[in-house]
Amino acid sequence: MNYPLLNKTAAVIVFLALWEILPRFGLVNPMFIPPLSAVLATGLHLVENGELVTHTLVSLERAFGGLLAAMVVGFPLGLVLGGGFPRLREAVGPLMELFAQANPLILAHIIIFFLGIGQSARIFIIAWLCLWPITFSVIDGIRSADPLLLKAAGSLGLGRVGLFTRVVLPSSAPTIFTGVRLAAGYAFIMLIASEMMGASSGLGWLVAQGQENYHVTRIFAGAAVITTLAVATDGLLRLVERRVVVWKVNTE
Amino acid sequence: MATHGDGTHKEDLKIVLKDIGQVYHLKKSADGSREFQALKDINLQVRAGEFVALVGPSGCGKSTLLDILAGLTRPSSGAVYIDGKEITGPALDRGIVLQGYALFPWRTVRRNVEFGLEIKKVPKSERRGISDHFIRLVGLEGFEEHYPHELSGGMKQRVAIARALAYDPEVLLMDEPFAAVDAQTRETLQDELLRIWDETKKTIIFVTHSIDEAVFLADRVAIFSSNPGTFREIVEVDLPRPRHNSDIRSSAEFGWVRHRIWELLQSRPSQECREGGNIVVKDAISPSATI
Amino acid sequence: MSVTGESLRRFLLRWSGVAVFLAAWEVAPRLDWIDPYFVPPFSTVLREAGVMFRDGTLGMHLVVSLWRAVAGLLTAILIGMPVGFLLGRRLVGVEQALRPILTVLSQVNPFSLLPVFLLFFGIGETAKVAVVSWVSLWPVMSFTITATRNVDPAQIRTALSMGISRLDLYCKVVLPAALPTIFTGMRVGAGLTFLILVAAEMLGSSAGLGYLVHNSAMNYLIPRIYAGATFIVVLGFLLNRLLLHVERRLSGVWEAGAFVTGPAGPAGAARLPGPAVSVAALGAVLIFIVFGGLEVSRINREAASYPSEALKHFGHIGQPVDR
Repeated sequence: MNYPLLNKTAAVIVFLALWEILPRFGLVNPMFIPPLSAVLATGLHLVENGELVTHTLVSLERAFGGLLAAMVVGFPLGLVLGGGFPRLREAVGPLMELFAQANPLILAHIIIFFLGIGQSARIFIIAWLCLWPITFSVIDGIRSADPLLLKAAGSLGLGRVGLFTRVVLPSSAPTIFTGVRLAAGYAFIMLIASEMMGASSGLGWLVAQGQENYHVTRIFAGAAVITTLAVATDGLLRLVERRVVVWKVNTE
Repeated sequence: MATHGDGTHKEDLKIVLKDIGQVYHLKKSADGSREFQALKDINLQVRAGEFVALVGPSGCGKSTLLDILAGLTRPSSGAVYIDGKEITGPALDRGIVLQGYALFPWRTVRRNVEFGLEIKKVPKSERRGISDHFIRLVGLEGFEEHYPHELSGGMKQRVAIARALAYDPEVLLMDEPFAAVDAQTRETLQDELLRIWDETKKTIIFVTHSIDEAVFLADRVAIFSSNPGTFREIVEVDLPRPRHNSDIRSSAEFGWVRHRIWELLQSRPSQECREGGNIVVKDAISPSATI
Repeated sequence: MSVTGESLRRFLLRWSGVAVFLAAWEVAPRLDWIDPYFVPPFSTVLREAGVMFRDGTLGMHLVVSLWRAVAGLLTAILIGMPVGFLLGRRLVGVEQALRPILTVLSQVNPFSLLPVFLLFFGIGETAKVAVVSWVSLWPVMSFTITATRNVDPAQIRTALSMGISRLDLYCKVVLPAALPTIFTGMRVGAGLTFLILVAAEMLGSSAGLGYLVHNSAMNYLIPRIYAGATFIVVLGFLLNRLLLHVERRLSGVWEAGAFVTGPAGPAGAARLPGPAVSVAALGAVLIFIVFGGLEVSRINREAASYPSEALKHFGHIGQPVDR
């Protein structure tokens, strides 16, 4: 009686069917929640005239540009602070905690003074947001390396570099992946917000335009694409994680 | 009155296990459902005030049997009678003490001990006197307002015992209660348990995998064999009482009984439960899965 | 508690980074290393914050933002906890079937929903509270599901063996046992809430801390931007620390409840606050919701009586001024 996969598929089908039927029969106001087919039609139309592809690419460039920049800065920073400089880590700990609280949209106004209103300002906003979860997770991952494992590996005559690359990094990989996935989630949330504020392209702008012109199906089509991208990115990172951290499966 | 038509004739029989069997249907994707016989043909009669220990290899139906006794699981066949009446579910005539203490960390020692009384709807004014009594009985006076995280493992287990005794059950069911404490504390707790048993005259069913513990505590030791779980033999422990605060553990008689049980456990090549099957069984009986 | 030399040294070390940063912020504009028009020295920003504090601006926007955050979080808890309980313990099969949908819904971007909420609820407070609740609903719900499912089975067996009623089992065992994990969900939700709320207030609002910063930027009141931003950062920091503290205390007591052998902890090391404290906290939240709500609607009415730039829902960031 227990077919989990069937149940899940059935639940999804019921959900989509309700989305179609409820607005069609006026059970919810189609002005607010248009039926699925109308949203799909709008989506198709946006694909055909090329708008959707353009804005998706712009948004992806910003999101991944920011995430990548955050990784480029965050990994070395985390390695340095988590690896060999405990007093430095102590000294900058609260400062980084404060920086992590600095909402990048608030900083946006300040950043624009320096970088202007172009693409680099938006990438910087995303990068700032992603930097902190990544840095913190690298520090945590390195610091939580099992001391027993280190002792055992050290007794086998592994040098400092060997210890680091062969023991510390692999054992901290799961924590680091968690941080990166968290950062990617943040990146998408804030990207849309920043694109709704004074951008002239991107998926967030598409949605904001839909709102200003009362194109409800556009809002939903845009939101669906944004959600799909977020889910796909998270799925991709999970996939990479499973490939890299093969041994974690055994312990869970 | 204990004149049931099921052979429970004796007046002082407290617990009667009659032909208990437990079968689980394991789900298998390929070949349909498979059956797993966890318990088979379990028969046992326990006198009022008796101390019976169940020993056997780990994970072979002892805990399942205790769950059946507690009324948390219904047996597939057979029945359990207490005072001649068949049990149908959990009730406050049986108290339970588990290995993991299962204390409620958000309650003080006193409020843990009073838990069963709250469920029994005993008025607050009476609860205090009762919990005072049982906290003193297990030797924890002065710790009434402490939280479990402030206690050592041995002290926690004392709280669990006091909690099970507080609502005055006639039967105490204990599932490897001392397995998680260190060896020294364990001996102390065994002494304490015998003293408490002397004072309260409860009927105790005690599951353990330690032969020493079973011999030291029990009047009779039921030896489990596995696959399916059933009693291989029930051994009378004819050692003098009171045994607590004595060095009976080092006596020759103790050694003999111990050796006899050890031989019985070894006599057939040990058939450990298949681990895979066991995990499924645990899932199937876990009460949390049904709530 | 006495401050020993060691802990004082530690304290100084920990905050030295912040001190150096603030010193640089003060000195760099003063020595014209960076343009003091765009980055005013820290003391100027502090003075501006003092002015806003005295004339009540800061307090007013703080009340509005806090009220929205608390109302949103409360809504999320009121929906997420009961649903999480049901899906976690009663409707396990339903939860498994719904999991893909719940996962996707939790990834739906709150800002892409903002226009829908605005259409639904109008420009008032409801849309903002709805966005905030949407964001914190998912962590609260998923942590509640996990928490109720992972209650120590031995605790449940013990309670069941006493013939406990289903209601009592939920109220006296499952709920308290699940509390620390549920609280973690609330903390995660609250952290996100604050981030999103400030952004939402910049997008379409006439009051609140996010609006304060946004409006200052629109009017080129640069020290005000920094003062507002600093205030938001410090507030978020303190909020995060407070919630972490409560969470650690809860889980410190809870985790030791089962299956830990070892010596007794120091007596009275971590006591739970009595029921009086919880009741007082709950009362304070309710009073804040009621009176804060009255205050917020008054502030909104006042803001509406003189139309301003900020009433445009999607304000645009001004071009940088010419140097």
